[in-house]
Amino acid sequence: MSAERRGLIFQLLGIAAAFAILVIWLVTADLTETERQTLDPATILKYTQQHLEITLISAVIVLLIAIPLGILLTRPSVRKAAPAVRAVANFGQAAPAIGVIVLLAFWLGFGARTAIVSLVIYAILPVLSNTIVGLQQVDQRLVEAGRGIGMSQLAVLFKIELPLAVPVMLAGIRTALVLLVGTATLATFINGGGLGILITTGVNLNLNVVLIAGSLLVALLALTIDWVGRLVEQLARPKGLS
Amino acid sequence: MGDFIGERYRQILFASWQHFSLVVQCLILATVIAVLIAVLVYRNKTLAGIANSISAVGLTVPSFALIGLLIVPFGFGVTPAVIVVTFFAALPILRNAIVGLNNIEPTVVESARGIGMSRFKTLFAVEIPIAWPVILTGVRISAQMVMGVAAVVAFALGPGLGGFIFSGLSRLGGANSLESVVTGVVGVVILALILDLILLGIGRLTTPRGIRV
Amino acid sequence: MSDPKISSTSEPSGNVTGASIMLEEVTKTYPGQKKSAVGGLTLEIPAGSIVMFVGPSGCGKTTTLKMINRLIEPTSGQIVINGEDVTGMNGDELRRRIGYVIQAGGLFPHMTVATNIAMVPKMLGWSKEKIAARVDELLELVSLDPELYRDRFPKELSGGQQQRVGVARALAADPPVLLMDEPFGAVDPITRQRLQDELLNIQSEVQKTIVCVTHDFDEAVKLGDWIAIFNEGAQLEQYDSPERILANPASEFVENFIGSGAGLKQLTLTRVNEVELLGTVTTTPGKRASDVLSQIQGAGRKFAVVLDSRGRPLRRLDRRQLSRAEIIEGTYDPDLPVVGEQATLNDALDTMLVASAESAIVTGPRDVFKGLITVQTVMEAIAAANASMDQDHEAPVGLNSGAINVVDIEQGSSSGESA
Repeated sequence: MSAERRGLIFQLLGIAAAFAILVIWLVTADLTETERQTLDPATILKYTQQHLEITLISAVIVLLIAIPLGILLTRPSVRKAAPAVRAVANFGQAAPAIGVIVLLAFWLGFGARTAIVSLVIYAILPVLSNTIVGLQQVDQRLVEAGRGIGMSQLAVLFKIELPLAVPVMLAGIRTALVLLVGTATLATFINGGGLGILITTGVNLNLNVVLIAGSLLVALLALTIDWVGRLVEQLARPKGLS
Repeated sequence: MGDFIGERYRQILFASWQHFSLVVQCLILATVIAVLIAVLVYRNKTLAGIANSISAVGLTVPSFALIGLLIVPFGFGVTPAVIVVTFFAALPILRNAIVGLNNIEPTVVESARGIGMSRFKTLFAVEIPIAWPVILTGVRISAQMVMGVAAVVAFALGPGLGGFIFSGLSRLGGANSLESVVTGVVGVVILALILDLILLGIGRLTTPRGIRV
Repeated sequence: MSDPKISSTSEPSGNVTGASIMLEEVTKTYPGQKKSAVGGLTLEIPAGSIVMFVGPSGCGKTTTLKMINRLIEPTSGQIVINGEDVTGMNGDELRRRIGYVIQAGGLFPHMTVATNIAMVPKMLGWSKEKIAARVDELLELVSLDPELYRDRFPKELSGGQQQRVGVARALAADPPVLLMDEPFGAVDPITRQRLQDELLNIQSEVQKTIVCVTHDFDEAVKLGDWIAIFNEGAQLEQYDSPERILANPASEFVENFIGSGAGLKQLTLTRVNEVELLGTVTTTPGKRASDVLSQIQGAGRKFAVVLDSRGRPLRRLDRRQLSRAEIIEGTYDPDLPVVGEQATLNDALDTMLVASAESAIVTGPRDVFKGLITVQTVMEAIAAANASMDQDHEAPVGLNSGAINVVDIEQGSSSGESA
C-alpha cells in the first residue's frame, strides 16, 4: 500500500520535472519563426484539448459499451457467448491501430468522428475482458450467500459482484485509457486533431524541436492519464479488500 | 483486390517477410535483454521494483511518440525501427521474467545449491527452466503488441507491411489506395496469428514435461 | 469476591420462536439427468429443534437444504413453513425470513461487520437506530464485543470470529428458521468445538428451528435433536434422535456411516451441563494476591480463576503464581482450557488432553463462568450413561414416497414406526 503510494508520488514528480525541463528548454532554445508559430502555447493548448477530447469521448463510449456487455456476458443465460465475443474483441486489438484508423477513414471520411470510432474499437477489449474476469473471480459462495439472505439478483450484482470486481475493472479501464491517449496521436493522419500533429509536422517540415516537443508532450500526457488512473484505482478500491 | 495482390504478390511477400523478420529478430534481442536484466535484479526487492516501474511506465509511452523522438538522433530507416520495436518487446518480457523467477519455491533453489550446483548452474539448469513458461507468455504478449508497433514504424521509413498502410493513406481515394491499406492490415493480422502459433509450438517443445499444465 | 458457582443443568429458558417445516414429497431432478438429486422426500422438522442432515457427499442433503429457502427450486412437491405453503411465494422475500449460514460465514469482504449484519434488516426497511441497536445486541449474543468488532472488516477477523458474524447476520431479522450449510467446515477442531458450544448456547436463548448440513457424524450427534441420514438421491436411511441412531442403526448403511466407534460415541451424547460441576475460588483483576492465596488454601483448592467484569474467565492462577504476585493481573490466557456447558464430554476430555490439564473451566451462555469439570467427572459420567439408555419418545415423520427412485422405499421409511 505504502509502496504504491510512493510510486504514485514518484510518478507525479517525474512527470512534473520532465514537463518543467521541456518548458525551460523551449523558452531558452533558439527557435526559428515557423517553430515559434507551431509551438505557440495557445496552439499547443488547443491540440492538447482536442487530444483529451477525443480520448475522453472514446473512453466514455468504451465504458458504456464494454461494461454492460461484460456484465451481460457473465450472466448464466448468456455466459456461453463470452468466449466468442472475446475472440472478436481480441481480433479488433490484433489489427494495427494505424490500419484500423485509415480503413475506417475510407468508409466514414476524415475527421475526429472517425478517429473516435476507431479508438473505441481498439480499446474495448481491455475493459470488456477485465469486467468479465473481475466478475468471474468473485467468490460464487458470496453470491450464493447474498441470494441466501434474500437479496435479489440485481441487488447481488450491484452490492456484491460489482464492488468486488472494481479493482480488476479499474485496472482494465486504466489500460484502455493509456491505449486511447497513445492511439489518439494517430488521429492526426486523418485530420482528427490532437497532439500527433506536432510529430507529423516536425517530420514533414524537418523541424526537430517541434518533433521532440510533440513526442515528449504526448508521452507526458499518457503518463499523466496513467497517473490519474492509478490514483483512482487506489481511492476507489473497496475497503476491506487487501 | 485480387488484381492488386496478383500484380504485387512478390512485393507483398517481401514486405511481409521484412515485417516478420524485423519482429522476430527484435523479439529475440528483447528476450535476451529482458531475461538478463531480470536475472540481475530479481533477488533485490528495490531493483526488481524499479525494473517493474520502468516496464509499466515504458508501456504507457505511445509508440508513435517514441518513434518521433528517435528520428531526431538516428534519422529515418531501420535503426529507429529496431530500437522502438525492441524497446516495447522487452517490457512485458521483463515483467514476466521477474514474476516467473520470483515465484520459484525457495526450497527448490536451496536444494539445488544444497547438492552443490553453482549459482550459474542453478540459474540455467533450475531457475530459468522453471520460470520459462511465464517468460514465454510475456514473449507472446510482446509479439502481438509489436506486430502493430512495427506497422507504425513504417512512418520512419522502417521496413514492413506498414508501408502499404501509409502509402494507401497518402493516395487516399486514388487507384488501389483501399486495396493497399487492406493488404497492410490483413497482412499484419495474419503474421501475428502465424507468430503466435509458432510461439505456442515453441512453448510445447521447450517447456519441461514435469511443469506442463 | 463471588461465590463459587455450581451448576448442573441449564434448561432452555426462552420460548420457542422457531417455526415447523414440512417437506411434502419434494423432488429435484436436474435437466438431462435420469436420477433425481432428491426423490420424493417427505420430512417433518419440528419447531424449535435442531435437525442435522448427514450423508456422503453428493447424497442430496445440501440440495434438500437449499430447497427449503428455494435457492434451488424443487421440481415438484411442497414446502410448508408454519402451516404456510411457501413453494409459490417470492423467493427473495422468503429468504429474508430465513437465516442462512454457509462455510466461513460467507461474509462480504468489502463491508464492515456491522454492515454485513445489517443487510437483511436494511432490506426489510428497519430504521437506522433499530438496526444499530440490533447489530450490537447480536454481536453480544455471539460473544463479540460490539465496540471492538463493529467497524472491522472480515479480513481483520479470525476464522472463528468470521463464522460468528455469519451466524449473527443470519439471526439479524430474528427469522424463525436458520439454515446452515457445513457451517463449521473451515475452522480448526478446537475452534469448531467452541463454535458448536456457542451455537447450542445461542439456541437455548433463541429457540429457532435449525436445519444444518454436515458430513461429520460426531457434529450431528453433538448438535442435533434429530438426525436425518441420507443415502444417494436424498433417500432417508434413518431419521431419529442421536441416541437411538447410535443404539439401533436402521440399516447396514447407517451402521457403516456411524463407524465402529459407536460405543465411544456415547461420550458425545452426554453434555457437560448434564454432569455435576465443581466449584472453585474465583477472583477479579486488581485484588490482592495474598488474600486470594489464603482463600484457596482455606478452601483446599489448587488454583483460583480470574474473571472479568462480565464474569468471563480470563486465566487461572495456581498457588505458586499467587505467592509471586502482588496484585491479580487481568491479562487473558489464550491457552486456558475452556469448554462450553453445551459441549459434550468428548469435547471436554479433548480440551483437557490438549491442555494437559486435569480439569477444564466450564462456561455458560455469553462465556460466563459456570464451574469446573475434571477427568474424574467425565469417567463417572460415562459409566452412568452406559447404564441408562432407552427412553420412549416420538420421532418426527420422515420418508421417501419415492416417485422416481423406487428402489429404496422400504429401507427409507421412518424408524419412527418402530418406536
